[in-house]
Amino acid sequence: MHVCSSRGAAARLSFAVAAFTFAVPVLAEGGTIKGKVDATPPKWLEDTVVYLKEVPGTYPTKAHALDQKGMRFIPHVMSIVVGDTVKFLNHDSLVHNVYSPDGEGYNLGSFKQDEVRTYTFSKPGTYSQLCSIHPEMLGYVFVGQNPYASPVDKKGAFEIKNVPPGTYKLSVWNSHLKAADKTVTVAAGKTLDESFSVKR
Amino acid sequence: MIGNLLRVATALTTAGVVFSASSAQAIPAFARKYGTSCVTCHTVYPRLTPFGEAFRRNGYLFPGIDSDFIKQETVPMGQDAAKKAFPNAVWPSWVPSIPGLAFGANGTLITHPTKGSESARADNGAQFSLDNLLEEGHIFGGWSIDDSTTLWFESTFTADSANLERAQILFNSLVGPKHAVNLVVGRGVPTLSSFGPHSSYVSDNQFVTFAVPGIYGSPDAGWQLADNFNQIEVNSVLVGRVELGVGMNAGSHTTAVRPTENVYGHVGVKFGGMRLDGEGSTGSTNTAAPWAETAITLHGFASHANSQFTNVIDAGLSQDISNAYGIGARFQLESLELNVEGYLDKHDHATGVAGPDGHPGAVDVKVGWAELSYILYPWLVPAVRVEHVILDPSNGGISTNWTHIRPGVAILVRPNVKLTVYGDIEMASGTPDQLGSWGGVGGTIQTVVPTDPNTSSSAQLASLNVLIAFAF
Repeated sequence: MHVCSSRGAAARLSFAVAAFTFAVPVLAEGGTIKGKVDATPPKWLEDTVVYLKEVPGTYPTKAHALDQKGMRFIPHVMSIVVGDTVKFLNHDSLVHNVYSPDGEGYNLGSFKQDEVRTYTFSKPGTYSQLCSIHPEMLGYVFVGQNPYASPVDKKGAFEIKNVPPGTYKLSVWNSHLKAADKTVTVAAGKTLDESFSVKR
Repeated sequence: MIGNLLRVATALTTAGVVFSASSAQAIPAFARKYGTSCVTCHTVYPRLTPFGEAFRRNGYLFPGIDSDFIKQETVPMGQDAAKKAFPNAVWPSWVPSIPGLAFGANGTLITHPTKGSESARADNGAQFSLDNLLEEGHIFGGWSIDDSTTLWFESTFTADSANLERAQILFNSLVGPKHAVNLVVGRGVPTLSSFGPHSSYVSDNQFVTFAVPGIYGSPDAGWQLADNFNQIEVNSVLVGRVELGVGMNAGSHTTAVRPTENVYGHVGVKFGGMRLDGEGSTGSTNTAAPWAETAITLHGFASHANSQFTNVIDAGLSQDISNAYGIGARFQLESLELNVEGYLDKHDHATGVAGPDGHPGAVDVKVGWAELSYILYPWLVPAVRVEHVILDPSNGGISTNWTHIRPGVAILVRPNVKLTVYGDIEMASGTPDQLGSWGGVGGTIQTVVPTDPNTSSSAQLASLNVLIAFAF
């Protein structure tokens, strides 16, 4: 423990020196993939996740929160990893129900304002989040094998950070549209620009 | 006597004008839905382009996936994903955030160049009439509630009446290949042709249709081949080139004692040009004339109707069986188009003279029409239309015929404002005897039964008309 602590201190010192001496802005282990998705028709653009397929490794499980507010799922699309748990919140002064007909399917029942339901996703896939009381509500939980995934923003932009160097299949999921996978090679500290056009 | 006949003719003529003066127009509700111009589907509305015809045949859905093209904001009544949970969840649909409505109006300025003509007399001697300048108002509704189901609504009102012309739900692509089985339930026009009911530049209706017993003086005989009826229809477009349809309708009548019982069928085939369903981007590639194509469409129909009405021959209701068979064709050579159509309609009890069975006599009705048009510019279409009707009654009745020529030009002042200038030239041999009148077919010539019904009338320029219509 002590040795480790000394090693940590030494590393921090050498990092500071290097940063000062060589003015290296970033010293990152992984690379970044960013870009933009165009959708035809554009109405489905926000239902998009860009992700890496099969990145070897084990990933610690996390807890996430998906809110219901103003009769909407917020965020509209959430990206998590197999084994993660999602807390479904309710910040509306209405009773909501959360269920999904996808994958193994689940129904978390109805719950009031400020109550919470949780669900742990054990299989990869995309799970529609629906409310039987308010059938217009829709959200998605994208469950990946790895954490290297990014839902797009309103303009279609995505960014996947800290990707371990290597060659991967970069893929895109969309609720209605599709695009072919791309093979990408990520280098440490580099940023890769990739774009997709998703269509019928 | 003459005065009475003129009044009857005037009433029938007015009815004819009301019916013929653009009872249905374009549907800007769809323009709102898709965020697209009227000219995506129309030339001079309500005349449809090949794409517009495909849209109509598809049950008012775009080729491909309809929702891909919807630009108007929608409110989901359920999400697609909920289909997987059915029957534990409601089958989803959507509605527009603003009702899919549109409004319109139309009317006609009428002049009678020849004051002494029978049409001028039927119009009480008027030579220049603004009476119909604003004649009808319309409320239209159109919306798809999912990618295969459409709602259609149309109500027409005048200064003193309102009429629900259409209210339909269209279930499209129910089973099998896309467009193969479609069900239409509600009130609308029976499909007797491969083209929309308003497929004319100088007349409101493509079909020349009229109540045959009405021509022979039965005052409540309202049934005719094509009108707005309560009906159920199953139709189909196969491999994009063949269309079929069968339906049943309640017809229309004013006796209200017993509904008419009518069945009909239709078949059409198109060679060349855009597919009948518009799928596969088979349309014109002429950017200057997106309506233009070289194609031939052949179509035909059969109809059987059983209607009741009062007639001087019978003490109670008369019952008339009508069996009609028709064929038609549309020939398109780029912007030039010729439509030719005709039918034979055999009625067993329609005239004002008793037949061998003591009931109204039989009559064979032969109807033909043709319209030639050329789209000079997207906003300017000259056209000429000819209609011809022959009545051949049995049991001593006299064969008569009536011809109607309508040259004109349809002008799109704006994509949603229309002006049609046309003339009406009429000629006839005799007039339907037994107190009949040509007013039932929209004509006025020889409103007085001549002493010799074989008398031929010279051609009369019955009227010059300017139809004005707008929709928004």
